Amino acid sequence: MSIRLGSTGERSLGDFSERRARIGLVIGSGGIKCTAAAGMLKVLEREKIPVDVAVGCSGGAIYSALYALGDSAAEIERQTMVLWKDLFSKLHYRSLLRAIAPMFMGYHEQVGMVDDRQVWKVLEALFGERTFADTKIPLLQSATDFRTGEKVVLDSGRITDATRASIAIPMLLRAWEVDGRMLVDGGASNPLPIDVAIREGCDIILAMGFESQMNADIRSLVNALGRTSTIVTNHLLRATFAFYSVAHHAEVLPIMPVLDRHIGLTETQHIPYLIEQGERAAEEQMPYLRRLLQASMAGPLPTPGL
Amino acid sequence: MQISISQQDHVTIVAVAGSIDALTADTLVTALLDEVAAGRTRLVAHFGAVEYTSSAGLRVLLSTLKEARQRGGDLRIADIRPNVRQVLELSGFTSILKCFADVDSAVASFANMGGNK
Amino acid sequence: MSRAGNGIALVIGSGGVKCAAAIGLQRCLARESINIDLVVGCSGGSIYAAAIALGKNAEEAAALSTALWTRDVTAQPDRAALMRMLFPKLLGFTERFGLKKDHVVWERLMTAFGELTFADCKIPLFITATDFRTGEQVTISEGRIADAVRASIAIPFAFAPWEVNGRLCIDGFLSDPLPVGVAIREGAQVIIAMGFESPYQERVTSGGRFAFQLSSIMTNNLLKASFAFHGLAHHSEVIAVIPQFSQRIRLFDTGKIPLLIDEGDAAMGEQLPYLRRLLAAVPA
Repeated sequence: MSIRLGSTGERSLGDFSERRARIGLVIGSGGIKCTAAAGMLKVLEREKIPVDVAVGCSGGAIYSALYALGDSAAEIERQTMVLWKDLFSKLHYRSLLRAIAPMFMGYHEQVGMVDDRQVWKVLEALFGERTFADTKIPLLQSATDFRTGEKVVLDSGRITDATRASIAIPMLLRAWEVDGRMLVDGGASNPLPIDVAIREGCDIILAMGFESQMNADIRSLVNALGRTSTIVTNHLLRATFAFYSVAHHAEVLPIMPVLDRHIGLTETQHIPYLIEQGERAAEEQMPYLRRLLQASMAGPLPTPGL
Repeated sequence: MQISISQQDHVTIVAVAGSIDALTADTLVTALLDEVAAGRTRLVAHFGAVEYTSSAGLRVLLSTLKEARQRGGDLRIADIRPNVRQVLELSGFTSILKCFADVDSAVASFANMGGNK
Repeated sequence: MSRAGNGIALVIGSGGVKCAAAIGLQRCLARESINIDLVVGCSGGSIYAAAIALGKNAEEAAALSTALWTRDVTAQPDRAALMRMLFPKLLGFTERFGLKKDHVVWERLMTAFGELTFADCKIPLFITATDFRTGEQVTISEGRIADAVRASIAIPFAFAPWEVNGRLCIDGFLSDPLPVGVAIREGAQVIIAMGFESPYQERVTSGGRFAFQLSSIMTNNLLKASFAFHGLAHHSEVIAVIPQFSQRIRLFDTGKIPLLIDEGDAAMGEQLPYLRRLLAAVPA
């Protein structure tokens, strides 16, 4: 085994092809905050981290898919700036009011705030007709069965369909049918599905997740609904993260960007900031990740505490 | 990662420095479980110099916690840095064990525990 | 927590009137001369947790329950509130929003618990709610019981949030429908947990049903994940007592209370052999 020393004197990460540890990348739900993943992917590319499995949930499903298909970090960042502007270019507030106001008066069709055709156009522009079979590394995306509440893992078929299901955030997008099941946002069952990476046999898991931010004032029913939804989502994120952290030997490295401001779904002007914070959060985990990878060259990683 | 152990008012203080992760946690858990096995089940983990903890680190804290509690004792944590605290909160640990701002309060909290060890 | 008892804690999670099954659970244990040393209640469960902590027997607790949960508790939509919801900017919508007039539920709570406080309980009582501003779980263990229960059952959009000890609280189930963590933190040994999943809709035909379905999906997933974590994190056993109801129980089916109590009794009975083995193994 040869050792190439880089300019910093550290072993070049290009040698880690001989490692024994399987690495998974999980990008969870977070709406526009998921653009931070573009920053993280820049770091992974620069550090030549060899990822074996990519898992995505909700907004994160877009990034895991682009990464698994082999797009460069620069390309993903370029696409990010365009896609988020396009996704919400036609936000229908009146549709939402129609949905909410008659809540106690009855209506018969669930509508969403975001124009479906617009979303589909964006996804087609990103993925075309490509399927899961076209990815360079295995890709898995999670959604939630609207009838049973269970998590559903999608790993075949068109990427546009799976991503559309995963990102079907209630009130924003309509549920999406895949194989006869009505699917909604993966975040409703598990906002950061590290268990999917664990099931794929990963020993090291890079997990980018986001705590939902509390909106400042409650000025309307929409705000209030958002507030309760945020509260439950955050607890669900913590509960699932907590369980999988201690239930299994996999070493989970959380990459959770710290944000100094509340960022609304359509506030695309904050994307550069989000990308920068994503990069920072990823860089913080690199020293330890490097040590882990070096250790994994020598043999299986230790599994303390089990 | 460095560990140093001392006693204060029938409580064992385990001061840890550095990173508690998959590569160092075995050393820590051995030291902690040795204390528990020797009957010193009232433990305060002093985290003032802990820079980082991973899920492996969490697992060893949990095994120690359970062993200590099974023997009528407890593990409490003192002086946690903000980034480490964030991980403990995310992982549900702040809901299942007691955390204190400093070692003295953590030690004092054992005064209410029944029985003498 | 006192080391004198066996350290048995009972945790009663959210579930509306189904929580009355806890009366049966406690009746079963009392019959076996097994004492509960600590009680935790969330949402609907807080009513029964309080009744048990106050030392009420099964008959008293059943009567309290029937008087409390009636249709008229929620039958009065607050018309002014409805208007404020539809035209928030015009009429002023604040975080203290609630659709129902809650003077009825408050009257019932005062009838049930009066001025009794946590200090009046025979065993330690903890009631959980959720801080509406920060989302954190709030554990209430002092003050008037009626206030704590009112905070714990403050179902979003049905009842207005309730202030307790300076914190604006809403229903405890939003932070954890079955707060086993509280029992763990308080040093419990064996934990008996009775919790209920929110029912799923048969057909989603309106925005209201859609909202309920979504809420059920998220809180049921939270219930399971949290329970799994706490089960793993606890050094001793967490025994789940889950009654199997042969009929569908709606939110205010107080007529079914005797049935609920019997089912709760039977469900606890099934776990008795295991509980006895665990208690025999606890060091003196």
